[in-house]
Amino acid sequence: MSSRRVRTTSRPSAQAQQAARLAAEQAARRRHDRRVLLGVLTALVVLVVGGGVGLQAWRTHRLPTAGPEVAVTDAPQPLRDGQPIRLGASDAPLTVQLYADFHCPHCVDFEEELGPTLRAAEAAGRVRTDLYPMAFVDAGSAPAANAMACATEAGFGVRYHAGLFANPTLQWSDAQLLDLAGKVGADADAGFTRCVTSDAKAGWVDSINAAADRAGVTQTPTMVLDGAPVDIAGLTPESLQSMIDAKR
Amino acid sequence: MIAVASQPSRLARISPWVSTLVRLLLAGVFLTAGAMKAMDPRASVNAVRAYQLLPASAETVVGWGLPFAEIALGLLLVIGVFTRLLAMVSALVLTAFLVAVVSASARGLSIDCGCFGGGGTVARGQSDYTTEILRDSLLLLAALWLVWQPRSRLALDTEPSGRRELEEAA
Repeated sequence: MSSRRVRTTSRPSAQAQQAARLAAEQAARRRHDRRVLLGVLTALVVLVVGGGVGLQAWRTHRLPTAGPEVAVTDAPQPLRDGQPIRLGASDAPLTVQLYADFHCPHCVDFEEELGPTLRAAEAAGRVRTDLYPMAFVDAGSAPAANAMACATEAGFGVRYHAGLFANPTLQWSDAQLLDLAGKVGADADAGFTRCVTSDAKAGWVDSINAAADRAGVTQTPTMVLDGAPVDIAGLTPESLQSMIDAKR
Repeated sequence: MIAVASQPSRLARISPWVSTLVRLLLAGVFLTAGAMKAMDPRASVNAVRAYQLLPASAETVVGWGLPFAEIALGLLLVIGVFTRLLAMVSALVLTAFLVAVVSASARGLSIDCGCFGGGGTVARGQSDYTTEILRDSLLLLAALWLVWQPRSRLALDTEPSGRRELEEAA
C-alpha cells in the first residue's frame, strides 16, 4: 500500500494515475462481487437447512402410507401378559422368536429384507413366529407397540405390523396410528380407537419388555430359530430360507 | 509469504495440491455424514438427545437441521469458494463435535456418537469414544491445515485467498 502511494504521489503522470484508478476500480468491483457471492451463498445455505428442517418435520408428522401387501390371513388373537404375538399356525414345526422395536433402525432393515421370507414360511405352515414388540428406543416405540397389540386383538395384526415397519420415520401419534389401520385395509372401529388412544395394552407392552429381559435380550433385532440365537449380521433371504429348509 | 511468492519453495509448489486433497476429504466426510443422518430424522434427533447437552426443543431442530448444514458445507467445499472461511467453519463444527464426544465420555454416558447416522444410547461397554475422538481430531487437523493453506487447485476461488478474503467477507 505504502509503496504505491509513494509512487503515485512522487510522479503523478497522467498515465500512471489512470492505471492506478483502473486498478482500484477493478479491485473494488472484485470486492463487491465477492460480497454479493457471499450473500447469495449464505442465503442458499439458510434455504437448504430451513428446507431440510421442514422436510424432516413433514416426514415425522405426515400420515402413514399403506406399506407392502401381506399374503398371510389375519384372525383376532387375544393376548396375555408376557405372551408374544403369534404369526403363522400354532402347530407349525419350526418356531422363531423375534424381538424388535418399531423405531429401531436395524429392525426396520431386518423387516424390509427378511420379513417377506418369514411371512412366506408362515403362510406355508413351516414357521410360527413369536413376536415380542419391545418399547425402549424413543417416545414413539411404546405407542406403536400398544397399537400393534390392539390391531392383533382386533384381527389385523399381520397387516398392521407390515404397515408400522413401512413408515419408520413417523413419530407415531394417535392420529397416525389410527390412520394406519385404514391404510392397511382394516376398519378402525370404536374398540380399536379406544384401545389406541387409552394405551389399553400398555401393561402388556411392559410385560413383553420384561419377558425380553428375562430371555437375556440386550439388543434388537434379536432372532431365535428353534431355540438357537441367529447371527443376524450378513443374513440374507436365501440364507434364512436355507436355515428354515434345513430344519425339515 | 512474500519470500515464498518470489521464489517458490517446495511447500509453495505442493501445498495447493495437498490443500485440494484436504478440501475434498473434508467435503466427502461432511457429505457422507450429512446424507446418512438425513435419511432418518427420528434417529438423528435421538442421537442428539443422547448427548443430554441441549434443551428439548433445540434437540429436534439440531437433529433435523444439522445434517443439511453438513451437506451444504460439503457442497461448498467441493466447489471451493471462500475456502479459508469454510475451513474455519469446519474447524468450529468439528471442535463442537469433539467437545460433545469428550463430554459424553467424561460424564460416563454410553452412547454412539451418531456421527454417520444411527447414534443414541447403546449398551454399556459398546461405546467407542477412542476411535471417535481420534477421527474427529484428525479431521480437525485437516480443517486447520486448510485454514493455514486455503489456496488449492481445482477450486472456484480464483483470488489469491488469504487475509484479504476474510477482510472482504467481513
